[in-house]
Amino acid sequence: MRIDSRARFEEAVAACRRAAEGRKIEVLVCCGTGCLANGSQAVAEAFQKEVEARNLPASVGLFTKKTGCHGFCERGPLVVIQPEGILYTKVKPEHAGEILEKAAEGGGAVSKLLYKDPATKKAVEKYGDVPFYKNQTRVAMRNIGKVDPADLDDALAHGAYAGLVQALFDLTPEKVIEEIERSGLRGRGGAGFQTARKWKAARKAKGERKFVLCNGDEGDPGAFKDRSIMEGDPHSVLEGMVIGAFAIGAHEGYIYVRDEYPLAVVHLTLAIEQARRRGLLGENILGTGFDFDVKISRGGGAFVCGESSALMRSIEGKTGEPRQKYVHATDRGVFDCPTVLNNVETWADVGAILHKGGDWFASMGTAKSKGTKAFSLVGKVKNTGLIELPMGTTLRHIIFDIGGGILGDRPFKAVQTGGPSGGCLPESHLDYPVDYEKLTEAGSMMGSGGMIVMDDRTCMVDVARYFLSFLMEESCGKCVPCREGLKQMKAIFDGLVAGRGVPGDIGRIERLAEGMQLGSLCELGKSAPNPVLSTLRYFRDEYMAHAEGKACPAGICRDLTAYEIIAEACNGCGSCARACPADAITGEKKALHVIHQGRCISCGACYTVCPTDAVRFFPKRELAAVQETGGAS
Amino acid sequence: MITLTVNGKNVKVPEGTRLLDAIRCAGFEVPTLCDHPALEPWGGCRMCLVDVTRTEWDGWCKMVVSCMFPAEEGLLVLTDTERVRSTRRVVIDLLLARCPDTPLIQQMAAKHGLERTTYEPNPAPTDCILCGLCTRVCDHIGVSAISSVNRGAGREIAPPFHEAPPDCIGCLACAEICPTSCIPYETSDSRRSIWGKEFEMVRCARCGRAHITRDEAAHFSDRTGVPSAYFDLCDACKRTDMARQFVKLSEGAGTAP
Amino acid sequence: MSQPSCQDLHPVEEILERYPREEASLIQVLQDVHRAYNYLPCDVLIKVAEVLDVPLAKVFSVSTFYKAFSLKPQGKTIIKVCTGTACHIRGAGQLVEEVQRLLSIGPDETTPDMGFTLKTVNCVGACAMAPVLIVGEKYHGNAKPAKMPKLLGQEGKTHAH
Repeated sequence: MRIDSRARFEEAVAACRRAAEGRKIEVLVCCGTGCLANGSQAVAEAFQKEVEARNLPASVGLFTKKTGCHGFCERGPLVVIQPEGILYTKVKPEHAGEILEKAAEGGGAVSKLLYKDPATKKAVEKYGDVPFYKNQTRVAMRNIGKVDPADLDDALAHGAYAGLVQALFDLTPEKVIEEIERSGLRGRGGAGFQTARKWKAARKAKGERKFVLCNGDEGDPGAFKDRSIMEGDPHSVLEGMVIGAFAIGAHEGYIYVRDEYPLAVVHLTLAIEQARRRGLLGENILGTGFDFDVKISRGGGAFVCGESSALMRSIEGKTGEPRQKYVHATDRGVFDCPTVLNNVETWADVGAILHKGGDWFASMGTAKSKGTKAFSLVGKVKNTGLIELPMGTTLRHIIFDIGGGILGDRPFKAVQTGGPSGGCLPESHLDYPVDYEKLTEAGSMMGSGGMIVMDDRTCMVDVARYFLSFLMEESCGKCVPCREGLKQMKAIFDGLVAGRGVPGDIGRIERLAEGMQLGSLCELGKSAPNPVLSTLRYFRDEYMAHAEGKACPAGICRDLTAYEIIAEACNGCGSCARACPADAITGEKKALHVIHQGRCISCGACYTVCPTDAVRFFPKRELAAVQETGGAS
Repeated sequence: MITLTVNGKNVKVPEGTRLLDAIRCAGFEVPTLCDHPALEPWGGCRMCLVDVTRTEWDGWCKMVVSCMFPAEEGLLVLTDTERVRSTRRVVIDLLLARCPDTPLIQQMAAKHGLERTTYEPNPAPTDCILCGLCTRVCDHIGVSAISSVNRGAGREIAPPFHEAPPDCIGCLACAEICPTSCIPYETSDSRRSIWGKEFEMVRCARCGRAHITRDEAAHFSDRTGVPSAYFDLCDACKRTDMARQFVKLSEGAGTAP
Repeated sequence: MSQPSCQDLHPVEEILERYPREEASLIQVLQDVHRAYNYLPCDVLIKVAEVLDVPLAKVFSVSTFYKAFSLKPQGKTIIKVCTGTACHIRGAGQLVEEVQRLLSIGPDETTPDMGFTLKTVNCVGACAMAPVLIVGEKYHGNAKPAKMPKLLGQEGKTHAH
């Protein structure tokens, strides 16, 4: 069972592949958290029951497999039939029977469950032809959706640990670092620091005990690529970490998983046990005499623990208070030992780089941002989900070609990247390539890959306030600029959205922002002003409208917005009244409906559901005038 | 020894010196709130921020907290640039909003040109500036009876469960180190109370003054191995005894011990 | 302590057996303890401090720092509304309001019968299904306020998804 030589490894992989050949038809059911939330567990169980019920001979080779996130979350639950590559969307348990029939027949598909391209209006049978997938280049996510994360044999059959074998048997630690340097790999967690540089520093550092850490804290709201990697292909992370440990001379490691990802903890725990038993982790890895083992450290629910020094304190059992990093973690990090901390996606890339070569990775991307990047495309976009693309792809291509454009075909307003440390980019920047430097130059940043698309029904002042609110909750509270600054900044924004803003607010915001950027201890405080400054940069008129005009142009800020029904457009369908949470709309069937201003809470639900665009919003301060002229209410 | 330049003035300091001390060596001063010579630097108040650069950086500067940044050979330090001053001003302005009635903060704010805060003053003013000195000294003496609780804007210093801290020895180090004297306590010959905990006092066998709590005596006994009898006399009486010894010794100088 | 000292200490003692007796085990121990007791009771924390040899003040500091921990007893079913960015712009606020309307509890509050506790949580990473609601262990994507009464009634009948 234990693999203790290269030859044995190759035999094991060959055996796993032979076993996989017996599975002539594979039914891959996506069981990532997104599809699970949509009921894919029941779908997987239905398939298993159907296969058993049919009692097919082994020669048919029908095999169901639960995999990690396929990425096309909008259309889940997703099922892929291999080797034909047929993609089924929005699958329900009751569809299992007919899908299996078609699969066993070997030809054709259940057309009603196929993805329909909104552009051509035609059904697309194959996974590889769907625009969402066609344009992707999956490196870090290479095996997600293909392997059963609970099965090491499946992972081996798909190339897991091949990079590790090359590293341990063909290279020295220094040569491994050279390969990473050749690849141009930069940290995929957000900062984009040169990975090879970090490893070199840790290799040189003095210390008996060294550590490699995996940052699985993925705190950026809107980002879930790390979750998908940890859940869907945990071995890719382990492989990377063993290679990294070998490169710097570490024998211990931790995978820090945020508290909100319980399934990732389960799958990683299982993967660690399986890897240990096979000799891919632990003592005498692959018979080379190299020892390395990992533990899982669970977060306690703190965004600040995504910051490297805070993460290390958390592993030590302390509060997540960052430390001034004048002494680098590569010299004194966790437990005061030399430490390399890398993001989940970075580790997942390492194995592929060692297997296929640094030059291969560097052949993709831009001059300074090499390789591929995973993104979670979410928000008001038609195709929400997880994608991986070469660096340099434009925002327009991602949002419109892969994302399918804006939900409801509403106007695009902005795309937020980089989480709470990032910024919002407007339409004028849609042709910007995704690249570390370019995004920073534009006032945003790459961050961990969350890309939140916003339409015209988004108030940028509200978005900035949302991020301030978030960061205020997450600040550790140690340093004055962040702790007090966020509180005061949010207070100014609370005033802006409630109609208490004054023109001087913008100057105050800018001065406070500068103080926070220069004075804060860690990146949380330093980059907290980014969402504010980027929205101010591109949407200043919206701020002015709030501060001076006491109006919210997007119609989102409830204290500044009122709604009314336009008589000529109303068909009396009553959708608005049904949607209204405040019972503020009355009207007879097929007759004009009316919003009672005294009860209306300005939530906008009526505006969203009205099929004839009969609801309009306007600044609340005009309400008196409307009422006087005997308007719709 | 390493040489660096502070505001144009060269200064030589031993390697390993922190920037704040090098700045002081050069004869300049920088405001601090959370720094204390007896404790490890913390970097929380941000008042000691300075700009540093090097000739090869072509004018690019970075702002660092001088209490923690290590002095380096060839470093060029600027303690009073425009942005240093404006950042310190923002910090003290924010503190003044939090602690509008605290004399220390009012004074420091005035020195930075602020009579009142430009932000929303705290509706429930406090004197606590969250400098952490109290918890740091408590950790330093090996007691750790109090700690910082919650995070972010809700952060405060408190004993466990906001009740009398079981580990507190009543040494008053926290109250004495607090720069705004905001930790209340009572102490007399009969009793001492702080953080809601009552302490029994040890009275000096000679003069009768209550000079230390039983818990503090026990703690330092345990920690240093010094016999508890050491605390039977108060410091003043111990010094008197010692002085008498010195007198005796100097009188008997020349005689064999 | 202000809570009754009548906690059964067997679960925490059993948990403490599983970890090295050092500060680094603290957060993992607290998580297991929180799962076992559904919150962090005072005397259990005192036991943890004692066995791990960590000052009680530090245990308390850690317990109050991390949002995963509640120092007050929680309801049998925890309702979590994700307030990540994608969920925020797709109406998480309305989900919270709906729970408030139905159960008369706000975030971090528990119904008097200890049935439900409402929590707003950070992004759970299911952003493509925004807005996300978690009732107990079950994730509900594309949650709508109108569906809320049904979702809250269903918990307990089906196991974790």
